[in-house]
Amino acid sequence: MNPALKESRSRREFRNEVYLEYGAADFHDVCCSLVKDHRALLRLMFGTDERLRDGSFRIYAVFSIPGQDRFLIPVLQLGDKESSFPSITSEVPAAQWYEREISDMFGLSPEGHPDTRRLVFHEAFPAGSHPLRKDWSITDEEKAVWGEGRKINVPHPFMEVAGEGIVQIPVGPVHAGVIEPGHFRFSAIGETIFFLEPRLFYTHKGTEKHFESFGFSDGVRLAERVSGTDSFSHGVAYCMAVERMMGIEITEKAAAVRTLGMELERLYNHIGDIGFLCAGTALAVGYAKGAVIREELQCLNERLTGSRYLRGVNAVGGVTTDMLEHADDLLRTLDSVTVEYKSMMKLLLSSVSHVERLENTGKLSRDIAARLGVTGVAARASGLADDVRKSHPHLLYDRMIFEAHTLEKGDVLARMLIRGEEAECSISMVHELLESSYRGGLTVAVKRPEAYASALGYVESPRGSLFYWVMSDKEGKPFRVKLRTPSYCNWPAVPFAVHGNIVPDFPLCNKSFNLSYSGCDR
Amino acid sequence: MLKEILKNLITRKRTITFPTGFPIEPGQTVKLVDIQGKLDTIFKRSLRIRMVDAGSCNACEWECQALMNPFYDLQRLGIDFVASPRHADVLLVSGPVSRQMELALKKTYFATPEPRRVVACGDCAVNGGIYRGSYAVTDGVANVIPVDAIIPGCPPTPSAIMLGIAQLMNKDVK
Ligand code: SF4
Repeated sequence: MNPALKESRSRREFRNEVYLEYGAADFHDVCCSLVKDHRALLRLMFGTDERLRDGSFRIYAVFSIPGQDRFLIPVLQLGDKESSFPSITSEVPAAQWYEREISDMFGLSPEGHPDTRRLVFHEAFPAGSHPLRKDWSITDEEKAVWGEGRKINVPHPFMEVAGEGIVQIPVGPVHAGVIEPGHFRFSAIGETIFFLEPRLFYTHKGTEKHFESFGFSDGVRLAERVSGTDSFSHGVAYCMAVERMMGIEITEKAAAVRTLGMELERLYNHIGDIGFLCAGTALAVGYAKGAVIREELQCLNERLTGSRYLRGVNAVGGVTTDMLEHADDLLRTLDSVTVEYKSMMKLLLSSVSHVERLENTGKLSRDIAARLGVTGVAARASGLADDVRKSHPHLLYDRMIFEAHTLEKGDVLARMLIRGEEAECSISMVHELLESSYRGGLTVAVKRPEAYASALGYVESPRGSLFYWVMSDKEGKPFRVKLRTPSYCNWPAVPFAVHGNIVPDFPLCNKSFNLSYSGCDR
Repeated sequence: MLKEILKNLITRKRTITFPTGFPIEPGQTVKLVDIQGKLDTIFKRSLRIRMVDAGSCNACEWECQALMNPFYDLQRLGIDFVASPRHADVLLVSGPVSRQMELALKKTYFATPEPRRVVACGDCAVNGGIYRGSYAVTDGVANVIPVDAIIPGCPPTPSAIMLGIAQLMNKDVK
């Protein structure tokens, strides 16, 4: 089924990716009509500097229409003299951050965007400097000034709410707990949060550009280190993108090992998160129980792969270790984990004071979640059945039995319950995986990619959908690596969820989303 | 909840067996008694650590967080993570120090009362690790504030972090 779209300048199909090239006005209309008329989801949006290739910048917007295993990718071609493109944010709010990031990274400004402030870079970063332009460079002096952080090159006014009785509470970037840095500015009336503006990107490490200094095979190591607790997902998504681009198919065995790793990662994250929520309600027993189960699972990871975060398993072309060999150990540990997990859930759900705090706290409505392009647990807890494992089957997910669980309420409790259901689902999927045997060796040989070949890679990480898009240059080296983490889509939804809650409940809301700062800031 | 606690008291059930030490690398083991002895003499059983994430991938923090789970239970030794640098003896810094965190790290350092010690935790913090050479990082904590001890590893295991803290104490005891 093809949506009726405007005639494109050129059309290219590659596996399930359909690239449609448009001029500026048509690009805007097509993107808006995809969302309005076909209820498409904006998966990611990014720019490339292809001036070396054919003298133009390009902006790619990747959409998927629910029910179809296809990605529609309108592409906007811009000449090297052009410095702006029509913004789609007013019609497609999910594009807001992507467009601001393109402006920071390429100096292409989104025309008509309601918020023209910088996104990634803070005040001290030199004005008019755009790292992802191929001819960009920065002097040591500029770096020093940037690090100093005192000079204001480009002002960044906070959105503040003024009025009688409204107080501003700035928090961070260094927080009280053992957690990542980010700045939050609350406008509160008494204890109630009226407005929250997060200021992130403190941990921006220039990862996308840094990928270009690695080879494709080496890049896995960097991909695994983008976001600690999603290491395996990042590895798989990156490898998948590179393998598709090179045109190689991994063996059934490698796919099985990757599926197993994905579910193990989901399991330790979800159970750990459920326990960690208890730290927000001061339920020490629950917190300790969650932490113990998480530790057992991470020790299992270490026995299986030598890394507590499942690092070093993925490689371009397959996997390096056969985790399926340890079936006995896996089953034994999972059995004991299942028992402990069940008793933990029983304890948590029977504790009135705990459930009380979670219910009706941090509500995210379905409408806002859909418009902002929220993904993962947060989307499913707000009634959006979005799961890349179902909508775009990859690895062995097409033969697995599982459901994309949804709940309607969208509060902290709903997000916790979804995690619980998915954790149980993961346990049964691991059992299912261990029942059969799989053909093939662990790896296949890698090929040299064609010049300017590109491809998408995607997985459902514990936090939500995760996308990589890679393009090679003439020599077969990385030309552009774009990665879009679930945290990047979900951060803009947090202010909506905490609106109307009391300040002491903010950590609880925040933990229930469990967003990675490093994954968002990159 | 009460039932659960009572049951555990009566059956004297322990969630996990109490480890006496942790293996690090072959031949190296952290013995809890060693750490305990030092802690008692030098810090009078109260070493307070402030964790600062200066752009890490978050795995390093999770390993520090794991130190407080019932398995490692760092607190029983008198070591604890505190909420403010003003209460801290030691700053445990992870991550390659992204440029946008440099100022915050310096401010945290100067907010810590002397004598203060800084430990760089993880390969990134030691020399930039995998992020070395990227335009947005400073390639290690030592380029921003003075460092007293390092803990290599990506991420260092919880036991390695304990060993690192023990080493720091070795240095001070001489
Ligand atoms: S040392 Fe490794 S685990 Fe620690 S922050 Fe760096 S990449 Fe992450």
